[in-house]
Amino acid sequence: MLPGKINKDQLQKILLSGIGFIALIYVYFTFFLGPLNKGRATAEASITDLQAKLASSKSEMAKAQTLAERAAVATGRFALLKAMSPEGAPIAWFPPRIRALFANQQIEKITVRLENSTPFKEAEMAEWNHYNWLIDLPQADFSTLGKAIVALENSEPLLAVTKVTIKAVGDDPQFQQVTLNATSTLRK
Amino acid sequence: MALHLNLLHEEISEQRQRQRDPLKIGTKLIAAIGVLMVVFYIFKAYQTLEIKNRLSRVQRDWAKVEPDVTAAQKRTAELTAIVGTTKVLDTMVEGRFFWAPLLQSISLCVAPNAQLTGLTGSINGDGTKIDLTIEGVAAGREPRAAAEELRQLLSEQLGQRYAAVKVEFKTLEDLDTLVNVAGSNMAMARYIISTTFSPQKPEPAKPAPTRGSK
Repeated sequence: MLPGKINKDQLQKILLSGIGFIALIYVYFTFFLGPLNKGRATAEASITDLQAKLASSKSEMAKAQTLAERAAVATGRFALLKAMSPEGAPIAWFPPRIRALFANQQIEKITVRLENSTPFKEAEMAEWNHYNWLIDLPQADFSTLGKAIVALENSEPLLAVTKVTIKAVGDDPQFQQVTLNATSTLRK
Repeated sequence: MALHLNLLHEEISEQRQRQRDPLKIGTKLIAAIGVLMVVFYIFKAYQTLEIKNRLSRVQRDWAKVEPDVTAAQKRTAELTAIVGTTKVLDTMVEGRFFWAPLLQSISLCVAPNAQLTGLTGSINGDGTKIDLTIEGVAAGREPRAAAEELRQLLSEQLGQRYAAVKVEFKTLEDLDTLVNVAGSNMAMARYIISTTFSPQKPEPAKPAPTRGSK
């Protein structure tokens, strides 16, 4: 062997060292440094996310406070309107309520029928429905009817009369036969 | 020139060869790099540990305020929904057409020589137009004139309260039968009056500009 020259045995050893070095680099980056960097990146991302949430939390709470103050009137009015729809199916409680109202106006003969109900298109009205009613008054005096309609329109703000039909009763011109089509907005 | 004999030549040569052994050099090199890597790894691990400590501090801070923030967000969503619903309900309440004042206006128009036999009123879907049909009979020396008087009164009364009032006869015909009004026989006419109007109140007339006094 000449000095400065590499023999076959030495070449094999150099190759072996090179392979060992590559294996070391691979193991180091794949099993040690890689997961460490990944965990660190994840932690940093979580910190950024949480810091953003913390920063926005103050404004969120302030916003809720401001909104609560601004919406106080709306909340009160909403509670009142909501209270007009008791629990249970409207067919169970709405006709008796209307009958009582007309009875207070001296109109005793009355039939209230539910025609149909339709949901609202607006997303904010998801809990409310339109209920179409047919109110039949077979014998009503015109002026009493007028007063009764005033009472109905004032006491039921969510009820709108859509059609009024008044016909004279043949035998007794004092009385009229009245049909009211009304739409009420009630909770489902 | 002195002659130097190196009796350790073979030994020195072997030692040099051992020192130049590539496997040995490689092993040393790898060990050195390995040490550097371990140091770097420890440095990085320390940094990561520090970041994780920071993360747990931030998580603790967040855990303290999170219930309040969640409650605030829930409340905001609730209030927004309530405000939206109330707005829609208010529009409906305020946009209703009140029939009682209309019936009152009609009752003011009916003279003693006119009688209403039927009334049908309906509001269209968007609440912008009311259709009203009034049937009845009128009596008098000139029953058609009595019916016309009713039509004009209706137009006048409704015009005070509503906009775009249109009152017209759909039918007006003389009847053969006579009716006794206040002791005298009168001719009769039957009419159907069709009325349309908008529930919006008419704009009040603006006063004419007055000349400024000198």
